[in-house]
Amino acid sequence: MFSLHTIRSGLPRRCLAANVRTYASQTPGNPMMEVFNRKTKHLQKDRAARNVEESRKVDYLKDEVARRLCERLLDIKRDFPNVLDLGANSCNIARALTTPDLDMAAPEGVSTPPLTQKIPNITCVETSRALLHRDEDMPFNKEINIRRDVIPDLETLPYQANQFDAVLSSLSMHWINDLPALLNQVNTILKPDCPFIGAMFGGDTLFELRGSMQLADLERRGGVSPHVSPLADVKDVGSLLNRAGFKMLTVDVEDIVVEFPDTFALMQDLQAMGESNAIMHREAGPLSRDVLLANEAIYRTLHMDDDAPGIPATFRMIYMIGWKEGKDQPQPLQRGSGDVNLKDILGGGDFERP
Amino acid sequence: MPTKTRPVEKIAKAAAQCSVEAAAYGKCVVSDYNSVHKDMCAKEFMRLKDCFLAASKKG
Repeated sequence: MFSLHTIRSGLPRRCLAANVRTYASQTPGNPMMEVFNRKTKHLQKDRAARNVEESRKVDYLKDEVARRLCERLLDIKRDFPNVLDLGANSCNIARALTTPDLDMAAPEGVSTPPLTQKIPNITCVETSRALLHRDEDMPFNKEINIRRDVIPDLETLPYQANQFDAVLSSLSMHWINDLPALLNQVNTILKPDCPFIGAMFGGDTLFELRGSMQLADLERRGGVSPHVSPLADVKDVGSLLNRAGFKMLTVDVEDIVVEFPDTFALMQDLQAMGESNAIMHREAGPLSRDVLLANEAIYRTLHMDDDAPGIPATFRMIYMIGWKEGKDQPQPLQRGSGDVNLKDILGGGDFERP
Repeated sequence: MPTKTRPVEKIAKAAAQCSVEAAAYGKCVVSDYNSVHKDMCAKEFMRLKDCFLAASKKG
């Protein structure tokens, strides 16, 4: 080890001044925050998926979100011959695409065909082989043409530019360290005027657990350490998409509240989903039993209704749609160019006084 | 498939038998949750833990 001072005095000064041109500042590439430990995440996903039975049992959340994501495809009157599922987990999107009657708006009793008519081919890309190939023997694999790609890192995509007619992503992007860079890549691999549709956990997901864990940590050990990941906020998502060059953005939020018998069941399910904590500087080893016990008591006191059978856990989904720029793409009109008053169409405009 | 119960299931089962103690501890922490400090509710926690330990021995 040596200090900066010794390096400096050891350098031939005259030489520096004469031959080397120095700049006032030089940016060393893109600075990047490492928030999540990718290796830990990979291990967690692999380990979770190897317990096939448990892992299938806790797919309720991923299947539900995949269905809601695919429902958004119904609004686009277009066929997508070649689609990428980014961070496919166990190909939940492919499974949702083969499910009939996705259309919630369809009148009751009218059956709508599965989306495989619009999307015959899908490429599923994921870092965990065990998870990606978990369900390859199930019947839905025969109804849609799935290609499974295992890649070492979701943050560098091995695809060529202008390759896909749509990129979908469900419940994977919340583990990405460098979201702006990933969205840039997504924009590149899309064909012009093609959509990216994503769903990710956002901001207030598991706020109950985050809060009660902090209180338990504080009271039992006198300090806090992160147990629930930081997540992107709704208001950041719009600017992220914008920065990556997407046009005509739509961002919306939906809460899914799941009831669990106790916090232990909640944590067990998260683990079986492969969604346990993977923050860079998390504490090694399991949580202390004292903190778990304290957390259970605090969670119940804060969030359980008196006559409820279980504790609620909120999952906040952020859905986003962005279109790659293309020729002849519909553009928003200039501000102030409208000649119909929205008030005439929607009526009202005044708040009702109580 | 695995017949042995996982440690966390044992904890959950034992903890479920101490709802009165847990409620007392929870109430103590939440009563002043803007200024929680270490061992603020040590007495209540020890009661909860005693109950929990007794319950886990039985089960």
